[in-house]
Amino acid sequence: MTSEAKTHAIDISSMQRDNRVLNLADETIALEVKDLRLSYGDNEALHGIDMHIPKNRVTAFIGPSGCGKSTLLRCFNRMNDLVDDCNITGQIMLDDANIYERSVDIAELRRRVGMVFQKPNPFPKSIYENVAYGLRIQGVTKKRVIDETVEWALKSAALWDEVKDRLHESALGMSGGQQQRLVIARTIAVKPEVLLLDEPASALDPISTLKIEELIHELKKDFTIVIVTHNMQQAARVSDYTAFMYMGDLIEFGVTDTLFTNPEKKQTEDYITGRYG
Amino acid sequence: MELNTENYSTHISQQFNEELEQIRTQLLTMGGMVERQVHDCIDALLNGDAELAEQSRKVDKQTNDMEVMIDEQCTTIIARRQPAASDLRLIIAVSKAVSDLERMGDEASRICRHAIELVDEGESPRGYQEVRHIGNLVREMVKDVLTAFARNDTELAYRVAKMDKSVDQEYRSAMRSLATFMMEDPRSISSVMNVIWVLRSLERISEHARSMAAHLIYLVSGTDVRHGSLKQIKKAVRPEDGDA
Repeated sequence: MTSEAKTHAIDISSMQRDNRVLNLADETIALEVKDLRLSYGDNEALHGIDMHIPKNRVTAFIGPSGCGKSTLLRCFNRMNDLVDDCNITGQIMLDDANIYERSVDIAELRRRVGMVFQKPNPFPKSIYENVAYGLRIQGVTKKRVIDETVEWALKSAALWDEVKDRLHESALGMSGGQQQRLVIARTIAVKPEVLLLDEPASALDPISTLKIEELIHELKKDFTIVIVTHNMQQAARVSDYTAFMYMGDLIEFGVTDTLFTNPEKKQTEDYITGRYG
Repeated sequence: MELNTENYSTHISQQFNEELEQIRTQLLTMGGMVERQVHDCIDALLNGDAELAEQSRKVDKQTNDMEVMIDEQCTTIIARRQPAASDLRLIIAVSKAVSDLERMGDEASRICRHAIELVDEGESPRGYQEVRHIGNLVREMVKDVLTAFARNDTELAYRVAKMDKSVDQEYRSAMRSLATFMMEDPRSISSVMNVIWVLRSLERISEHARSMAAHLIYLVSGTDVRHGSLKQIKKAVRPEDGDA
């Protein structure tokens, strides 16, 4: 290798974009899914999923409607517990503990694994109170701490400059894109470890969408992000890893750059190139 | 995921099918034109046919236009369709292959110019044997690489890469004998130099054919073998053979 270093005046390997060298084997794992099966009544929706969600990376789930990607996402903070008739077997390990253990405090789990939905759902309160809400529930009462956290969360959500002069106005007066960023600020205010985004930009215009995508890129420094999206170009733009699901199975999971240029499975190829299955 | 050969017509968007099929067809049309140019330039030289050489040089303008047109379509498809996976590789491979074809056309045109000069000088110089031999190899490579593109045939592409190696060897040995001719008979230098330029152009065409073969292998297998050895190309073409 030394002779090569001598012949090149410049180090070409340093010019590659950093995520070119991504490799799942080298990642720290935030969430580990082990043989996860989920059924609604008699209908099995997830047929034994095994996967590793890497820490401080963006992982995107793509696949046609009904493939189970949102269902799987909702398993990560036990949202499916709210669905009647829903039966789950298998494990999801967060920090070496199975989140489906009986002893798990679901409220605490949902603090550690926050979620943002397709439609922005701010509370009918002021912008400030929306972000402060989670902290107050946690029992934080010091105004200084809350003020600082609200400012940090709004800045992290790239919303601070737009709202700093009207923090006490109603959140419902904001645009859709602003509301979605507010909801993200509300979610990160309680310092979760994992951020689940279920189609966070599908109800937004292209510019707001780009702002959310930029935000996702910024946030991955501090959080592990899992995003479900119908928009394949969006998955290609924002994610480091992509999982393709089909009919309740995980078909292919790999580095986004590879999956979008040279997928291994025909089903993946057909889906991302827009072909008949 | 390897490319499925009959896969261009299965997109949900019928328009997209047509666009991809169109750039493929146009690539092959342009390939046909360049193949003709390569064929004609060698014939013109060997038969001392200045008229054929003139005609062939006029075709080069068309291949240049073709390159620009196909590249424009590739850009449009990328902008409008955001192709992925094998579709994306098709666009990239076609866009690179047309540059190679265009340069092959330029080299053919250069050979025609030397053919005309040699006709003007009258006497048929030494070294035609080598031109005939290398010319035949190069013609076959151009034909094969286009067939490989038409059929997405990586085995044939691998064969083209192997032939490039033979052309290189033949080229080197021809250079040695031509140098000897020039030393023996300094009066032949100017005409032998023309033959050397011709051989040089033929060697360039062979190089471009090899480069096209590499683009096809990238298109089909997703592996970039541009600067790879024959062994690496073989591995990309026949992954099942392993390292053996």
